[in-house]
Amino acid sequence: MSWLTLLAMAALVFISRYIFLEPKLPIRLGPKILHFLHYTGPAVLTAIWAPIVFHQNGELNLEINNPYFIAAIVATILAITTRNVLISTVFSMALFFMIK
Amino acid sequence: MSENIPLDTAKLSTSQAIFKGALIILPLSIAVIPWGILAGSLAVEAGLLDTQAQAVSALVFAGSVQLVGMGLIKAGASLATLLLTTLFLTSRHLLYSATLRTRISHLPIHQRLILGFLLTDELFAVCSHQTRKQFSFWYAFGAGFSFYIIWQLASLSGILLGQSIPNLDQYGLDFAVAATFIAIVLPTIKKLSVLVTVVIALFLSVTFSVLEIEGGIIYSSLIAMSFGYAVSMIRKEPL
Repeated sequence: MSWLTLLAMAALVFISRYIFLEPKLPIRLGPKILHFLHYTGPAVLTAIWAPIVFHQNGELNLEINNPYFIAAIVATILAITTRNVLISTVFSMALFFMIK
Repeated sequence: MSENIPLDTAKLSTSQAIFKGALIILPLSIAVIPWGILAGSLAVEAGLLDTQAQAVSALVFAGSVQLVGMGLIKAGASLATLLLTTLFLTSRHLLYSATLRTRISHLPIHQRLILGFLLTDELFAVCSHQTRKQFSFWYAFGAGFSFYIIWQLASLSGILLGQSIPNLDQYGLDFAVAATFIAIVLPTIKKLSVLVTVVIALFLSVTFSVLEIEGGIIYSSLIAMSFGYAVSMIRKEPL
């Protein structure tokens, strides 16, 4: 990896985080665009976690004894009932490493 | 978590606000440690020099971009793929900065730049509930900067451990990523349109991943977002 590539990645990330914090930015996001962007978080975050849970070492794993799957179900239940990120994460990870 | 967030942080002293911010983000800082270790070890495994590996965490400071990016570099993906994937993964931050615009854009430039640099999923999660009056720079800074320090230390551990323990990526540390995102996303499903978005993103991202389609995260997210948007339009859901 070249330093230039690294800096380009850093610049893209920083610009996307900063751009709307700049008061001089003349662009205004219309209500439809904002409404569409509203779904970015759930869509992108799910598209990152789902393959981790169901696709390992090049194979689709939909088995009920898949430790990722079992722990993800526990994380889901804990996340919905407790709404506490630490509790959901720590307990589901502990379970994951026990059954893995 | 959201129940006990001190909403009105504008009246606190500087040091109190920094401390409160660091304290409120602490659960997320702890949950991110395995992820940081993984990011550090993956960077080394992708062939980066130690200094570069740490620089990625210090300058890019974005877990999902780092994990997916290092995977792409290791797989020998093109520069265009790497930057396009980065652009899309990071595009959700556009929404975060747009949401926080009313709270941050009136601050002095150095404060804006600092908060922009520190604006992760986690910092957004602890700041997004506050109104403009309740928001304070030092509270957000305490949360964002303490999270940044933890991320650097966790990455450094990963870089050092990655050299003494081979195949650190085989220990299932990537489950921490899944667990954290599940914990962030699932409680936000309160409308049918969001549920549809999540279900379609789940199905398509796994399908594209199995089919080894480059940029699968990009396509699955855009399609899922379109469906979510369409469902909310058809059902006339309020935002």
